[in-house]
Amino acid sequence: MTSAIELIALTKVYGDTRALDGATLTVPAGAVYGFLGPNGAGKTTTLRILAGLARPTSGEARVFGRDAVKATTAVRADIGFLPDVPGYYHWMTADGFLRFAGRLFGVDGPVLEQRVASLLDLSGLKGVTTKIGGYSRGMKQRLGVAQALISAPKLLMLDEPTSALDPMGRKDVLDMISALRGRTTVFFSTHILSDVERVCDTVAVLHDGRVVREAPIADLKHSGAATRVLVEIADRPAEVASLLAEEPWTGECVREGRTITCAIEDVESARRRIPQVVAGLEASLVRVEELEPTLEDVFVELVGGDA
Amino acid sequence: MHGFAVFLGKEMREIVSTWRIWVLPLLMVFIGVTSPVIALITPDLLSSLATSSGQSGLVIQIPDPVTADAYLQFTKNATQIVLIAVIISVAGMIAAERRQGTAALVLTKPVSRTGMVVAKVLSNWVLLLGATVAGTLLCVGVTALVFDATLITEFASAAALWFALAALFVALMALLSVAIGSQGGAAGAGVALYLVLSILSAWGPARAYSPAGLLGAGDRIIAGQTVDVLWPTLSAVALAVLAVAAASWLFERQEL
Repeated sequence: MTSAIELIALTKVYGDTRALDGATLTVPAGAVYGFLGPNGAGKTTTLRILAGLARPTSGEARVFGRDAVKATTAVRADIGFLPDVPGYYHWMTADGFLRFAGRLFGVDGPVLEQRVASLLDLSGLKGVTTKIGGYSRGMKQRLGVAQALISAPKLLMLDEPTSALDPMGRKDVLDMISALRGRTTVFFSTHILSDVERVCDTVAVLHDGRVVREAPIADLKHSGAATRVLVEIADRPAEVASLLAEEPWTGECVREGRTITCAIEDVESARRRIPQVVAGLEASLVRVEELEPTLEDVFVELVGGDA
Repeated sequence: MHGFAVFLGKEMREIVSTWRIWVLPLLMVFIGVTSPVIALITPDLLSSLATSSGQSGLVIQIPDPVTADAYLQFTKNATQIVLIAVIISVAGMIAAERRQGTAALVLTKPVSRTGMVVAKVLSNWVLLLGATVAGTLLCVGVTALVFDATLITEFASAAALWFALAALFVALMALLSVAIGSQGGAAGAGVALYLVLSILSAWGPARAYSPAGLLGAGDRIIAGQTVDVLWPTLSAVALAVLAVAAASWLFERQEL
């Protein structure tokens, strides 16, 4: 099956700055794909190239097998795009803008009216008669997601779609994205890790213009960053923490009161040795819990201190 | 092509939904109504000016105003005031779309950059044509009331030549708006271009074979002179087409 998006050694140079430095990734069709990276990593540049707004210095960007730089009209017909700061005609109303956007894609008549009504409802803008010039940033962002969906695109590309939204607005947009799973490929950039964890099945981490990790989200969390174990004991926590830190299978151990959290490199050894260490000191074990690495742990490990 | 038609429709709706519907048509209506009246009262105004200035020995001899004066007043106002307003009002036609981010949103849909440029120019030409026709008809009507209904064909020719010149400037502004990227910068360059054309119109060869010949040609027609406007008109059309083509070519190569 043709990939929805394929980046091959994509490079973009602005003067002395390499916004993209050989970025390579593949987005399978039907995926909800998170494009994660700290500010300035090159996310927006990648999306602008895919949308035909910018040209790469070298490398390739393909959308459903077509060159995003050369086959711009054909590519645009397949995508819905929301830029990071969407610009609107302030004299238009939300329904007027959606009709305009729909007609640009050749959608008209009852189909267009049905989609406009449905998307206004979905974006919480139903019944809003104010012109767009009077909208809040959140309303503009929700309208942006709605206009990107007006053509029922095969690929939806969203640049930081939740960054301007309040918690309720974020939830609405993320629910909209989740609802598209299996129907449309969603490729969205963000630096909000919880958004990615909530809706994405695959994620790529971009850092300094390079894709440093690309994997299903479950695989990503089980790789790279060390697993941690939480040990809670009733007494002698300082001595237990000291002994655990000396074990060859532990990394850094942090004690807070009677709770000790250690990074571990060998889960089996930890399971076997922790009770032995506690018992050796005649301390009382309250609980032992293995903590999965969070996406944040993995992200911080991948991008270092730049996040 | 479909995207172009939809975008052109948006441009026309934008004209009637924003300030753009007021500026140019109101200016043309204003000069259409006031030009004949100003032509009528100018001799009296100058006489009273001489009297009120206390220069008792000063004698100003001004011939009685005639129909041609009304039309000449209109063409003077159109060339000196309305044309500058046209230049300033269309200077942001592409630059403003880029600055506001609307170009980035629209051009990721199936409409080409060339389509956007052409739609912008066409819609402004339609607005300009409507305003020119309205101003011209009003001027003819008021002139007929104040003076008489003669020289209508000559005045219509002069108005058509003014429209050709203004339409050329719309096309040139499309190019400047794309190339310079800011409304203020494009407006400044447009006014400078207008001044250059005005200076060139005083030079015979330029007046005979370039769009500079459109400046003042209408006045000479109204004054009853025979004027050959074929080359100035053809060169203006050719330059307008070239300007739109260059604007499209340049815009296609720019990053948004």
